[in-house]
Parts: sequence; structure tokens; C-alpha cells
Amino acid sequence: MDGLFIPLLPGCIVAIASALGVVSARRPVYAAIFLLVHSLSLAALFGVLSAAMVAVGQIVIYSGAIVVLFLFVVTLLPTGGRELAPTGARLPAGLVAAAAVLIALAASLAAGAIPVVTPGDLSVVAVGHALFGSLLVGFELTAPLLLVAIIGAVVIWRRHEPRTRTAVPAKATEPRTLVMHR
Amino acid sequence: MSSEVLVLGTSAVLFAIGGAGALMHRHPVALLMAIEVMLNAANLLIVLGARVHGGADAEAAALVVLVLSAAEAVIGLALALALFRRRAIPDVDDAVELRG
Repeated sequence: MDGLFIPLLPGCIVAIASALGVVSARRPVYAAIFLLVHSLSLAALFGVLSAAMVAVGQIVIYSGAIVVLFLFVVTLLPTGGRELAPTGARLPAGLVAAAAVLIALAASLAAGAIPVVTPGDLSVVAVGHALFGSLLVGFELTAPLLLVAIIGAVVIWRRHEPRTRTAVPAKATEPRTLVMHR
Repeated sequence: MSSEVLVLGTSAVLFAIGGAGALMHRHPVALLMAIEVMLNAANLLIVLGARVHGGADAEAAALVVLVLSAAEAVIGLALALALFRRRAIPDVDDAVELRG
């Protein structure tokens, strides 16, 4: 047990408990709130692990943008986001998969030795140098990725728009035009 | 038990929980939230690796993963809303247009 164990322990417990809440909540609103708690607890863990920039990014991007986006979608859901009960095979399949993943990861954890912590420069300046130095291409490629994601979301939305909302009442004399999307 | 083992164990448990949730849920939004839990577990592991090896590169990669999860959430939620237009209570197994 070292100096970081005690500060890390509550964050780990809250992260696991809120992840269980995300998975087991029957209403999506509660799941989204659990996801918020989960992301904040992970931000705390990142902060304790001396990753200040990732911690701030987790709060701003994750709690501030992604979880709020989930909440928006949940409020748009018809029937309050009711879900069909899992069919017979799903529950055991999920539990078996979780157990298998846990056993595999625990085995690999037990087989390998944890390397000794080598102190390095993890300040925001160092992370910034890495982002705009060795990782520049990958970092810049996230910009077109986000653009494509935005356009893709709009296209998916338009494609499935109900026809009554977009259809212009056609005049009898006009020839019928070919509609590309459904 | 060292703090590294604690964080490693937490990450493994989170990944297993998220995987189980992704397999169990039939609601597309709940499914996406379980996948977000799995992404967070991977990100926690990346940050731990950055600390253990003292590399700022890995922390920068964790930031890129955050952006990736934002893009994934946008596309996934758009698909989920498209499913909702078809049925009031959607089932992810209904989307079978690509089945051969």
C-alpha cells in the first residue's frame, strides 16, 4: 500500500458502483445520471493519477458535452424510454461474457509484473508538446473525424425523416420527381 | 496491494460491467451508455500507463480517445433516434436491413 492508495480507493468504489448503476438502471434518465457520476469519479481518478489535463478534458468534454447529449436524447424519447425486458438468452450471455472477461484480465494481471513507476514530466506543458509534436497527425485528424460525425448524424436524421413532414403537395400537372432517399 | 493494481483491477471490472451491459440491453441508448463505460475503462488504463511509464504522449492519446468517444456518441445517438422513428419501444435487434 502506498501513498496514492487511500486517495484512489473512494474514486474506484464510486466508479464501479456508478457503472453498475448505468448498466442496471431501468430508466434511461437514471442511467444518464449514473453516467454523469461515473465520469466525474473518473475525472477524480485522473486527477489523483497526476493527469490534470485529461481530468479537465473528462469534465469538459465528457460530463459537459457527451452526458448532456445523452440527457437531451433521453428527453426526446417517446414513452419515457421504456425498454423491452431482456430475452431469456441475454442475461446469462451478458453475465458469462463479464465473467470471462474478468477471468482473462485477472489472469493476465497475475501473470505479468507491474513495472516500477518511472517518474516523468506529466505537466500540461509536456502533454501539449506531445499533442502538437509526436501526435500531431492523429490530433489533427480528429477535426475531420468530428466533422464527418456531425454530417453523418445530420444525414442519418434526414434519411429517416417521416415523409409527411418533407413531402410537398405535388400538383397534378407536374411530373413526378425521383426521390433519392426513402 | 499497490495503487497500480487497484487501478488496473478497477479498469478490468469497469470493462467487464460495460461489456455485460452492452450484451444485455435492447434499448439503443442504454446500449450506448454501456459502451461509454467500456471506453472510460480503456481510458483509465491509458492514463495509468502514462503515469507508470512517465510518458506525456499517452496522456495526449487519452485526450484523443475522449474526442473519439464524442464522435461515437453523436453517430450512435443519431442511429438510436432513427430507430425510435420506426417503433415506440425499439429493439436493437430490429435493425436487420443489412442481413444477407
